[in-house]
Amino acid sequence: MPDMIREIVVVGGGTAGWLTAGAIAARHQGRMKSGFKVTLIESPDIKIIGVGEGTWPTLRTTLEKMGVSETDLFRHCDAAFKQGARFARWTTGEEDDGYYHPLMLPQGFHQVNMAPHWLAQGKGRSFCDYVTPQGALCDDGLAPKTITTPEYQAVANYAYHLDAGKFAPFLQKHCTEKLGVHHVLADVAKVNQAENGDITSLTLKQGGELKGDLFVDCTGFSCLLLGKTLGVPFKDCSDILFCDTALALQIPYATPDDPMASHTISTAHSAGWTWDIGLPARRGVGYVYSSRHTSEEEATEELLRYIGPQAKGLTPRKIPIRGGHRETCWKNNCVAVGLAAGFLEPLESSAIVLVELSAKLIAEQMPANREVMDIVARRFNEVSNYRWGRIIDFLKLHYVLTKRPEKFWRDNTDPATVPDRLQDLLKLWKHQPPWFLDEFDRLEEVFPAASYQYVLYGMGFRTEVDPNDNEPTEDLAQQQAGENAAMTRKLRTQLPRNRDLLRKIQEYGLQPI
Amino acid sequence: MRVETAASVRYGDGQRFVPVVVGEFSNLVAHYPIFFSKDAQTGSFYCGAMLGIDEGENLFLTEGRNFDAYRPMNLQRGPFYTAGSDIAIDLDHPRVGESGQALFEDDGRPSPYLAGVINLFRDLKPGLDQTKVFIETLLVMKLIEPVDISLAFDDGSKRQLEGLYTINRDRLKKLADDKIVELFHRGYLQAIYLMIASLKQVPVLAQKKNSRLAG
Repeated sequence: MPDMIREIVVVGGGTAGWLTAGAIAARHQGRMKSGFKVTLIESPDIKIIGVGEGTWPTLRTTLEKMGVSETDLFRHCDAAFKQGARFARWTTGEEDDGYYHPLMLPQGFHQVNMAPHWLAQGKGRSFCDYVTPQGALCDDGLAPKTITTPEYQAVANYAYHLDAGKFAPFLQKHCTEKLGVHHVLADVAKVNQAENGDITSLTLKQGGELKGDLFVDCTGFSCLLLGKTLGVPFKDCSDILFCDTALALQIPYATPDDPMASHTISTAHSAGWTWDIGLPARRGVGYVYSSRHTSEEEATEELLRYIGPQAKGLTPRKIPIRGGHRETCWKNNCVAVGLAAGFLEPLESSAIVLVELSAKLIAEQMPANREVMDIVARRFNEVSNYRWGRIIDFLKLHYVLTKRPEKFWRDNTDPATVPDRLQDLLKLWKHQPPWFLDEFDRLEEVFPAASYQYVLYGMGFRTEVDPNDNEPTEDLAQQQAGENAAMTRKLRTQLPRNRDLLRKIQEYGLQPI
Repeated sequence: MRVETAASVRYGDGQRFVPVVVGEFSNLVAHYPIFFSKDAQTGSFYCGAMLGIDEGENLFLTEGRNFDAYRPMNLQRGPFYTAGSDIAIDLDHPRVGESGQALFEDDGRPSPYLAGVINLFRDLKPGLDQTKVFIETLLVMKLIEPVDISLAFDDGSKRQLEGLYTINRDRLKKLADDKIVELFHRGYLQAIYLMIASLKQVPVLAQKKNSRLAG
């Protein structure tokens, strides 16, 4: 058949490019002998941005499917465990104000909604502690598994913090050596199109032409194929999420044994928030803020004050953030993944998980020929737009429940800046807590109802609870709360210190089973 | 200085799971189940013979009598261990004292006991390295799988044995011919089948435990 989709060209060699190329190549290994081919082309001199150092637990499955060894990931990407995030000073701004968004689901989540039971009787204990051990594990600085736990398996659910600058070359090596991805180092001089707009080939500056049936645009913010060539417009969302600048720093540890958190510490400041991520070799810290609410000088000062004496002599790197996404991510025979598709502030580490979800969808739904590609594209766009919307809602949720007095925070609570759907949900949740059969019913929801519960009840949101409605599940809920308390006690004595386990993995490795 | 050689809990023989080497499998298989397990400190796999069900329990040990079965080399070695290429003795080991076997004859030559120990290490030391390579080969071929064993005893008590691994027989059956030949030539195929056969010792061991619980 003339229009079979067999040659996949991924343009751009950052995290998005290599994850997508790897996912497609791994899924279609069997077809490689009959002419299926994945090529990744990247410019020999563009530096990758290296978005975010936080990931989601999905990355474990993604990498396992690609055949990557988790031990290698830890050894080559300066990777560490991430068990969620702690949001400090987001609600009142006081010293003791903080809550966890852990990665474990609440105990018995599929059997009983613990939220109304906690609301009725969880007094004195945080929602997180009532339903999961993970907050306590983070407080104690413990790892989410032991040296005898096999690769990719968890005792407590986890994702990674990693050095994005090392992650892309690590994936490149795996994709080219193990998965048969062709790697071309060249610049795109011209994008050639057919009459219907389809991209037929790329003319290379260094000479030659690269043909393809499906082009994946991973060219980052420049969005060379989908944006510049096919003219798909960018949808800005700075009216909802105000942060537009980041100041980033890498901070060395005072001693190699300095304690290292196994969660992201996200602290609210006057006009935004800081991320604080512990990698084995260094900390990554950055201030994400709204330039409409503070100046670069003030923001720098606030960041350095947060870091303290260790920031002495360091100058932050300034990164502009353009929050938003392409109106459609798949047009003609071109689909954008990663920054080319869009970017949102890294508050919930949504960048890499979105790459994974897109890559998986492309790999699994790879259209057989050009004729059916439009059907797949339509579905891809529908689900992508849904995801962008849900992530924007979820990020905004972190801002709307604040009681902080600064203008940035007051402006964030202005209903005119809150998406309608989120406003409806907040209204609804005054009377019923989020759970199943709420709106989060997609097979691959980025943030499940549990995430909303952790943020809502972590920030002091109150849902009215009818005791009569709780009664039928009272015993079950109490049993689950008891099991959670028992598991918390057990894990606190059994799990090793975060840094100790990471050191052991460097030395002995994790076993594949 | 003398070394006590009798088998006894007070000399450290009260061990439920003893590390073994591949060369011992044919001796072990007549008495014990042989499994893979993970070292708690490093997570690395090793092979072990199962001597008991509960922690610190050796069902092949009857106080005042000698070992009821083939005694794994790791128990035979007593207070001796290797330090580099030398054999060293742990002076704090409960076997070391004024009674038992002498290490040297009156004329200063090594005693038959010590000669036996030296002989033992000739097998044990390279045996540990060979076993490591055996395990690595099986891991690469994905021939190791976890196994859950649940035991119920006549007194109503139950035991769940955790952290044990054995040969993945489904994968073994599906292994390509060249891999099977490779395993055969390296002597691993025999070791694999000895491990599989040793599983028949699990009910025998459970029966021993059952008798102890009853009586």
